[in-house]
Amino acid sequence: MRWIRGVSLSLLLLTAAAAQEIKFPADLASRATESVDVSLPGNMLQLASKFLSGSKPDEAQAKKLIANLKAIYVKAYEFDKPGQYSDADIESVRAQVRGAPWTRILGAQSRKDGETAEIYIKSEKDVIDGLLIIAAEPKELTFVHILGPIDPEQIANLSGKFGIPKLNLTPGRKKD
Amino acid sequence: MSRLEDELRNALRREEPPQGFASRVLARAEAGPAPRRWFAWPPLRWASALTAVAVIAGGLTYERERRMRAEGERAKEQVLLALHITGSKLQFVKEKIHEMDSRR
Repeated sequence: MRWIRGVSLSLLLLTAAAAQEIKFPADLASRATESVDVSLPGNMLQLASKFLSGSKPDEAQAKKLIANLKAIYVKAYEFDKPGQYSDADIESVRAQVRGAPWTRILGAQSRKDGETAEIYIKSEKDVIDGLLIIAAEPKELTFVHILGPIDPEQIANLSGKFGIPKLNLTPGRKKD
Repeated sequence: MSRLEDELRNALRREEPPQGFASRVLARAEAGPAPRRWFAWPPLRWASALTAVAVIAGGLTYERERRMRAEGERAKEQVLLALHITGSKLQFVKEKIHEMDSRR
């Protein structure tokens, strides 16, 4: 009977872990002319960490940044003409981060240019435990989902590396 | 004489050996026993088996490490790509916020 309890507990933990992950629209890639799909669960991040050099500054920073992360998911789509994705595609993702523990800390929407830029953070006890970026342009749509404790200092330290700008990602800061 | 006796006599009659048989037997006897094959030596057989096992195990380990290294390098490239995209999209958000701020 103990093994049944063990299996049940494992299933519960797996379900809980899966519940933390955001579901992205599945059919966007088929509509896009180019797409990038990066899915790095915890074990892949650990493996990558072993191959990131500790002596090269960029890689050392990346290594430090991913050390405690649980997963990184990047879905980037490029379309040949505007109107290939709908607001509903974005809304299906947005709906999953509406309400606690998620907070939208930055958001800009230009209906005229058809652009949307939003950053959501998942915070628990003043610790950032997740990040979601939605970046939509008429012919591009990108979702970046990072799971796990993110130290804003580390992201700030990556400024200038990998094209990461300095941003104030302090929980509680809201800008719409 | 019965037919059976005839058959027995016929079967058991003396036959002369082929020519040179005796000399061939003597020559073979003088040459000594046939040499044993080198592989028949037991320690060598064991050594060969162990070498084969070691070579196979080494090959498998090398292949596993090669795959692991390839997977690790791929994961590393993916992490760097993900961070690069994250960076460019954070830049995009920052620019949009600035644009919005400057319009106000």
